[in-house]
Amino acid sequence: MAISENELTKALPAEQVTYFESGNEMAATAAAQINYHIMGYFPITPSTEVAQYLDQMKARGQHDIQLIAADGEHGSAGICYGAALAGARVVNATSSQGFLYMLEQLPTQSGTRFPMVLNLVTRAVSGPLDIRGDHSDLYYALNTGWVILTASTPQAVYDMNIIALKVAEHSKVRLPVIVAYDGFFTSHQKRKVQYFKDNETVRNFVGPNPNPGYPNVSDPAHPVTIGAHMGGDDLLNNHYQLSEALYAAEEVYEEVVREYALLSGREYKVLDLYRMEDAEVAVFLLNSAAESAKDTVDALRAKGIKAGLIRPNIIRPFPAEQLREALKHVKALLVGERADSYGAEGGNLTHEIRSALQVDPENETVVLSRVFGLGGKDFYADDAQAFFQLAIEAAELGYAAKPFDYHGYYPGEEKNTLQPVMEPPHGDAFKTGLIQVTQNEETGLLKVKLPPLRQLTAKPHRLAPGHGACPGCGALSALELFFKGIEGDMVVLFQTGCAYVVTASYPYSSHKQTFVHNLFQNGAATVAGMVDAFYELKRRGEIEVADDLTFVMVSGDGGMDIGMGATVGAALRNHKMIILEYDNEGYMNTGSQLSYSTPIGHMTSTSGVGKAQKGKKGHHKDTAQILAACNIPYVFTAAESNPQDLLQKAAKAQWYANNVGTAYGKILCACPLNWKSPDDNGTELVKAAVDSCFFPLYEIEQGITSLTYNPELKNKRIPVTDWLKGMGKTKHLLGDAELLQDFEAEIERRWTRLKLRSENALL
Amino acid sequence: MSTLPKQNALGFFEIRLESIGGLGANLAGKMLAETGAIELGLNAANFSSYGSEKKGTPVKTFVRFCDPEVEIRDHSPIEEPHVVAVFHEALYKTVNVVSGLPLDGVVLINTTRDFDEVRADLKLEYGTIALVDAMGIAVEEKTKVNTSMLGALFRICDFLDPEAMRAVIRRTFEKKYPHLVEPNLRTFDRGYNEVKFKTYEAPEGTAVKPFKRAQSMLGYRTQLPGGLIAAQANSILKDLSGSRAGMIPVYDADTCISCAACDNVCPDYCFVWEPAEDKRGRVQQFLRGIDYQYCKGCLKCIDACPTDALKSTREEVGYAEQHRVAQVFI
Repeated sequence: MAISENELTKALPAEQVTYFESGNEMAATAAAQINYHIMGYFPITPSTEVAQYLDQMKARGQHDIQLIAADGEHGSAGICYGAALAGARVVNATSSQGFLYMLEQLPTQSGTRFPMVLNLVTRAVSGPLDIRGDHSDLYYALNTGWVILTASTPQAVYDMNIIALKVAEHSKVRLPVIVAYDGFFTSHQKRKVQYFKDNETVRNFVGPNPNPGYPNVSDPAHPVTIGAHMGGDDLLNNHYQLSEALYAAEEVYEEVVREYALLSGREYKVLDLYRMEDAEVAVFLLNSAAESAKDTVDALRAKGIKAGLIRPNIIRPFPAEQLREALKHVKALLVGERADSYGAEGGNLTHEIRSALQVDPENETVVLSRVFGLGGKDFYADDAQAFFQLAIEAAELGYAAKPFDYHGYYPGEEKNTLQPVMEPPHGDAFKTGLIQVTQNEETGLLKVKLPPLRQLTAKPHRLAPGHGACPGCGALSALELFFKGIEGDMVVLFQTGCAYVVTASYPYSSHKQTFVHNLFQNGAATVAGMVDAFYELKRRGEIEVADDLTFVMVSGDGGMDIGMGATVGAALRNHKMIILEYDNEGYMNTGSQLSYSTPIGHMTSTSGVGKAQKGKKGHHKDTAQILAACNIPYVFTAAESNPQDLLQKAAKAQWYANNVGTAYGKILCACPLNWKSPDDNGTELVKAAVDSCFFPLYEIEQGITSLTYNPELKNKRIPVTDWLKGMGKTKHLLGDAELLQDFEAEIERRWTRLKLRSENALL
Repeated sequence: MSTLPKQNALGFFEIRLESIGGLGANLAGKMLAETGAIELGLNAANFSSYGSEKKGTPVKTFVRFCDPEVEIRDHSPIEEPHVVAVFHEALYKTVNVVSGLPLDGVVLINTTRDFDEVRADLKLEYGTIALVDAMGIAVEEKTKVNTSMLGALFRICDFLDPEAMRAVIRRTFEKKYPHLVEPNLRTFDRGYNEVKFKTYEAPEGTAVKPFKRAQSMLGYRTQLPGGLIAAQANSILKDLSGSRAGMIPVYDADTCISCAACDNVCPDYCFVWEPAEDKRGRVQQFLRGIDYQYCKGCLKCIDACPTDALKSTREEVGYAEQHRVAQVFI
């Protein structure tokens, strides 16, 4: 197919405007100006803001990008790949676990040669979980066959996003491109930045979309087969092609940045060589830390030390030749890396630099390697000084006394070792004997006898105070209320989400009993493994623990999106466990992005309200009915506004989990911060949600549906507007008759169907 | 263009805002920096101490100003600020807010108390203390505390033109919330005008409050492998009283019927119960009071209480310590 490259614009400096913005804002601005077709995204700190800013701009009508909220990063990568297959221009942003979760898709995309741009807002990879920045996610990208550009400032984030698309789509490359910038240091730091005043400047630079000129799925006149499987001979040839295209990207990059420099006045050479002309000692760093270390270079130069710094702007392809050139006369180089390749005596870039130098027989540079700044540990001038000091010592010695080490670790003091704060209560401490569950011999259904709730205050809380939840958090009260209904010992797993983050912030735990965190697409599978292992160990007589140990998997509604697969899997296998969902109608832990449980029209940070958009599109997910369709023995919904009802359901859930199989429950919980409601109003709000029949309280026991509270029969039913008016996130709905009617009709439809089910055991 | 009165070795004039999440310090820092950068020709950077912190937990926001030709390359947190602004007094129980303040530094406090009391609490021997009742102004004007703090900050940073900030406030509100323009301008102006200053001369030979870079409690020898925690429930060692933004629940045992409605909705597990005999001699659970160490002042319990046993009041210094009923953890 004959492809003519977009004409090199005879670029002239274009008019720019100055703003004060962060890296994430700049990535979003570039994407909006390019006006990509599709972004399939999933929230993860610290990259989520890119989608949020794009949503805000979309609500204001500033671009046409279709923002698709995926079910997880694996799904988001699939959406992006699919869109690229259709010949669309595609952008995405992710970080850390999100990147790892989509990793499987990335070599597929490069191997089949469909360009797109992915912003990787770098962050530490779990475990243990850490939301701040390092490069451990980026290092997983090195073998994906994607071009990788690195952006060290908010300004560079903008510029690189524009450059990236042009490199990706170039006929000699045709590969997806990652733009990597530092989580928080660059993504959230606000700086004075410039961008092109006229979107047309950006669109002219990147040129018209060339993808329709390449094979794609949008052209029935030229059908193609994409993704045929191969044998080794063919695969090797395919990968050789890819390898050649990736190497070609360096030259293309140089061409594009030259052109871009004419337009913008900003140049991003392959290597940013800072005072390297006559440097004898140097430090190699990626991104923000490299910028910080330039101040140290200046300070050392002022003292007469010939210090310099190397920061690459592109690491795939790896600029080996240019590095050899830059290091010709350097006596010692310290490579500082924000990620390790455990057990390899240095992070990946250390070895790449060493192997680049190895082919130069004349080179005598001593290369030292230090792992630093993991998990967002700050990088100060004294850290940079320490790096240079090590390089100076190695230059003097002619060898490295310690070629590889970590930098910044400390042993800690014995006196600070964590001490027990209480004798952990267990067993009988949690058995009041006041909650009695009996099975009806005829129907097989359960009956629960509860004491007045006052008496249950004698039972210790499962969770300890001192956790970091927001004032008025509805999740932490509802979870503890549920746990009040469980007798005996528990093991809980919280998937990633608010309740996890606030109750297990190292070195503190707010859990009295055993607690586990796992990433939030996999909690149900993890507990499934735990519970089956527990029973197997018991069966073999290897442990002696009472049978009534209850395993509970706790998730937010977001975790029920990304973790739906694992949840349905566990339910279909019917493991003896409780799956408990606290539903606050959004990804509140990452800053209130929409989840599939967010009701229609509700405002979140990715379903904004403006002239071009009216909050979330589409109705809320009915997770309880999905789990009911798995035919597990017990499904319920509950709210803290009806505490007896909630506790009865907790007791039944425990009985089924201990004796039969999987129990699932959904508890509606207020989030004052993101519902934009007063801190003291959460219980009233969930009560209104219940009384308006938006959130009916019911259970499905052995397939039989019962309404456990019917506001109509109690003459308590209220219009849904009585609930909506109490929250800032829904105020706009009150004035939108059409949207409101749509919402009310859906509530009525689900409620009516539920009533019919409760009247007929066969439904 | 503005001229910076002082600069550190890298050419920066530095400001650190000490606050709790939810009071708007992050936004105040952004508006302060943006006004300097966009309206007044300076170069600037602004960032916050990000983590997984929720509303109510301590946060720091940093602002760096420098001359326009100076490049800002440093990314590290501000350790020796020229100005510290404390948005919430309860913070200095748990955070050394004046750490790294130079001899000629200024510390702005949102308070209703007087200079000597504040100085004693801060254990500050030198420097200029600036006081403003930012919360009081915000309550009266029905606005946010960050706007009155910004007013006071502009007075302190007299190299910045307050007119530029007024323009930003107008621009921020006039389109969507025109009725908020005037109250916010008034809040800003009142902060600007009502802030009071007192300078304490440093006696000869006074040492600067050295900045102590926080190091985590555990090291590689004292952490359990894998990041495990065996000291279950050790979050009870934390003091969360600093999360309260002004209001506190007050308990009256005489009108309490010990129904546990408060306990059922409390996200922070603050209610303390004890078994005792009721009038008929049966052992029953009785509510004894509130453990204010963990109370974040959400006041959900007051809504839940069916009697008048729980009411809210503006928290006064010392109230919580005097009325706390400490939990006994078994």
